[in-house]
Amino acid sequence: MKYFKLPDLGEGLPEAEIVNWHVAVGDQVEVDQLLVEVETAKAIVEVPSPCAGTIVALFGAKGDVIHTGEPLVEFDHQESGDSGTVVGKLAQAPGASEDHFIIGAAPSSRQAHHARATPAVRALAARLQVDLDQLSPGPAGLITAAEVEKAAHLEQQHGAAESLKGVRRAMANAMAASHSQVVPVTLHEDADIHDWAPGTDITIRLVQAIACACRKNPAVNAWFDGTSMSRRLRQVVDLGIAVDTAEGLFVPVLRNVASRDEADLRAGLDRLRQDVVKRTIPPAEMQGATITLSNFGTIAGRYANPIVVPPQVAIVGAGVVREEVVARAQQIAIRRILPLSVTFDHRAVTGGEAARFLKTLIMALTKA
Amino acid sequence: MKKIYEFRIESRRFINSAGKVIATLPEGYDAGLLRQAYEHMVLIRAFDQKAIALQRTGKIGTYPSILGHEAISIAAGMALRKDDVFVPYYRDLGTQYLRGVRLVEQLLYWGGDERGSCFAAQKEDLPICVPIATQFCHAAGVASAIRFRQQPRAVLVSGGDGSTSKGDFLESLNLAGAWQLPLVFLIANNQWAISTPRYLQCHAETLAQKAIGAGIAGVQVDGNDFVAVHDSLTQALEKARTGQGPTLVEAITYRLGDHTTADDASRYRSQDELKKAWDEEPVKRLRTCLAHQNAWSEAEEKALLTRCKTQVEQVVSDYLNTPPAAPTAMFDYLYARLPADLQPQYDHLKAIRPEAGHD
Amino acid sequence: MTNLTMVEAINLALAHELAADPNLLVMGEDVGVNGGVFRATVDLRKTFGPRRVVDTPLAETMIVGAAIGMATQGLHPVAEIQFMGFIYPAMEQLICHASRLRNRTRGRLSCPLVIRAPFGGGIHAPEHHSESTEALLAHIPGLRVVIPSSPLRAYRLLLAAIRDPDPVVFLEPKRIYRAVSQPVADDGEALPLDTCFTLREGDDLTLISWGAMIQETLKAADSLKQQGVGCEVIDVATVSPLDRQTLIASVSKTGRALIIHEAPGHCGVGAEIAATLQEHCLLDLKAPIRRVTGFDTIMPYLRQEMLYMPSVERILGVAAEVLDFGR
Repeated sequence: MKYFKLPDLGEGLPEAEIVNWHVAVGDQVEVDQLLVEVETAKAIVEVPSPCAGTIVALFGAKGDVIHTGEPLVEFDHQESGDSGTVVGKLAQAPGASEDHFIIGAAPSSRQAHHARATPAVRALAARLQVDLDQLSPGPAGLITAAEVEKAAHLEQQHGAAESLKGVRRAMANAMAASHSQVVPVTLHEDADIHDWAPGTDITIRLVQAIACACRKNPAVNAWFDGTSMSRRLRQVVDLGIAVDTAEGLFVPVLRNVASRDEADLRAGLDRLRQDVVKRTIPPAEMQGATITLSNFGTIAGRYANPIVVPPQVAIVGAGVVREEVVARAQQIAIRRILPLSVTFDHRAVTGGEAARFLKTLIMALTKA
Repeated sequence: MKKIYEFRIESRRFINSAGKVIATLPEGYDAGLLRQAYEHMVLIRAFDQKAIALQRTGKIGTYPSILGHEAISIAAGMALRKDDVFVPYYRDLGTQYLRGVRLVEQLLYWGGDERGSCFAAQKEDLPICVPIATQFCHAAGVASAIRFRQQPRAVLVSGGDGSTSKGDFLESLNLAGAWQLPLVFLIANNQWAISTPRYLQCHAETLAQKAIGAGIAGVQVDGNDFVAVHDSLTQALEKARTGQGPTLVEAITYRLGDHTTADDASRYRSQDELKKAWDEEPVKRLRTCLAHQNAWSEAEEKALLTRCKTQVEQVVSDYLNTPPAAPTAMFDYLYARLPADLQPQYDHLKAIRPEAGHD
Repeated sequence: MTNLTMVEAINLALAHELAADPNLLVMGEDVGVNGGVFRATVDLRKTFGPRRVVDTPLAETMIVGAAIGMATQGLHPVAEIQFMGFIYPAMEQLICHASRLRNRTRGRLSCPLVIRAPFGGGIHAPEHHSESTEALLAHIPGLRVVIPSSPLRAYRLLLAAIRDPDPVVFLEPKRIYRAVSQPVADDGEALPLDTCFTLREGDDLTLISWGAMIQETLKAADSLKQQGVGCEVIDVATVSPLDRQTLIASVSKTGRALIIHEAPGHCGVGAEIAATLQEHCLLDLKAPIRRVTGFDTIMPYLRQEMLYMPSVERILGVAAEVLDFGR
């Protein structure tokens, strides 16, 4: 192998940002030796060397975004494992050199990564010191002079904008994708948890209640493909759990929540949180959720309209537990109330299915 | 001083301008053969006159009349065997006709349609060649291929007197000699290359003697005498087929018409000269000869002219009723497969001409 | 696999096809007994005989014209013009006949021939032996103009040219006939024509060249790499018809293009490429498309020819201007 190209470190992840190189040009490396840490959409991933050899070149410096399929490292190898590349050995007067070529254009996942603008707009941007790559193109895919001028004005008044990277960038993309695809409907209801034993683990009760409700309402624990108009009802409940960090939103997956006991769930959840905080969580641990829980009530908020992330079809939001005056058996009572919000993708789930899911969820939570 | 080489050019003629046989005809030149030749010559002349008329009425483009070349043209066509190859220039109507090139294809060609060179009934002969003398090189190549495969076939290539001044002609003549190719060069010396007369073209006494410099045989014949041309070509072609090398045949005639319909020969040559040349012309000569042998009658002449007229009218009708080629035809035959680079241009042409394309 | 120079790779390709195709013949001045003035056809006559490897009279018009006639008979002539400087008498045959025979007979006849000619400067040859006039040929519709830049590509592209059903002019950069040696397997595998080859991948600047100038271009790319500039190096290889898509894809990515060729810039193939790039990549361009070419002068005699030809330094100088543009 001569060029080691950035593999897809997740499922269809288009890019990764270089966090830290662990090798330098000229280093002799062994198979599986740590080459580089990169940050993908949701995690920092350690990339090991696929082979032994001497490093001839590193493509990209700390902070650079490398696209999937683009060279990451060049080795001093004589042969190449790349298909479509014809390799020869070119003996020249001073030592040997190589003859690599690709028939036609070089393959790359990169799609016009830089801004597209007319030369006049480029000149304007250069004069106003506006970075075109920071601007979003207009409807025709082009950045206009007006946008450059607006950006210059903004920057003058409010300082330079921060370019989103890593997790925040991934969140922005995921939310935008959801917004453009999903037809969301949100239901709100309260669960009366007054009869819970003191010290009950609210999050774990929520996890178990979702598992129970999913088993009884399988349409909500599913993956939906809007392009092929198909859905997959999932037998296992793999629950995505939103974890807030300073870097942004992570959603690690707690596997098979229906068949695990309370202690096991708590231990699993703690481990996931730790991995997230340490940024060592592998990409695989953040893929394949069948439904998601956003427990924003640990911070603040009563109801919400949480966002469904395709291919999932539902998400449960839990608000702050509060004491509330309620009418109960013809009496005024003060009870502990857990406010719930369920958003479902109405393309895949009917209103009845969602309402029954919510009903089952509340029944499971209300139990002492 | 020692004389190391001498040459002699023969001039051959059997029938004089009065239609009188002046030398014993070679075997086989009976009235039947001559009548056949005559009928072909009359048809070709009728078609030629019609083609000029079509140009004058805007139905075809520029056209080079064959008037005066009928004996050469028909003799060449009759001397060739089916599996020989003919490499023409642009005044070879009769030869091409006898080789299977349909008259409607001639009209298509001169009417500006490439389909006129896609001969339906003649697969090997080269198309009409306009760039002067370039065809001689092709003929040398075709003859080389025949020699390469050791086939008993010959190649006949033709050109005008002007073409013998070009390097292509001399290079091909030279190669034919060096490689002893099965190739016969037929020069239709009609005295004029547009406005340049034969004597300004070359100081040599004959064009046939240019063969000598290439080490091959050269002969001059009376190009208005069907028998002289046919017999000389028949011998030369047989020599070529049997591996005895190439020959240059210079056929002397006169261009009775303009160079093409775009030319006006009265600007540069005298009416007297033209009038004298008409006395030599080949069609009347052969008719007179046949009449002398009681082998042709007025009634036969009248019937022949009627037949020719009908045939030519049918050709013109076929030509005028030929549907136009697809506008994308200019791309369709440029390469065996359309290169990807040309696809956008092809698509553009189709877009601006929605009826274009074959799908 | 043995290491071969380009001229040896060409010889190998000719031998391979002579053995494989009984209709193929090699012809030209001094190609037989002498094996060609550059030895491109050496020993072919010994192996395949004088019927297949033919010494012709000294007449370029006739060589190309006769090859056309042979091709109409189903032979596959590979004719050598000893130097590109002597191809001009054959231009009429190329323009009026070879390139258009298929078209003008609506496919009844075709011209599957190859004209090989060494070209370009840098070998201290006499006058008329060093020009690069590929643009004259690239301007002829119906013709292919192919220029290899390495022994391996010479072998595989010559096979492709011979097997192509249409006429191909195969221009051989004689400056690198023996300058480079690399493993070439005689496996009979052809490369596609009408296709560029990407020799290096990079994101910052696309360097476009062909023929011998690929050597200088690669050196410039190596030098720029040391400065942290990633160059995509594209060998155009078939200068007509052009593989515009590869060029457009690369320059859309890098936003910067530098075209390097030995021929004069004026009306050169680089001008066509530059026009194409501005038509298709304008909105991606970060700097003007630039060319580094031979000067628009008569190619000097051998004493000054290296002044005329683009050097690594000239390429780097213009590359720096392109990279610094607008900064």
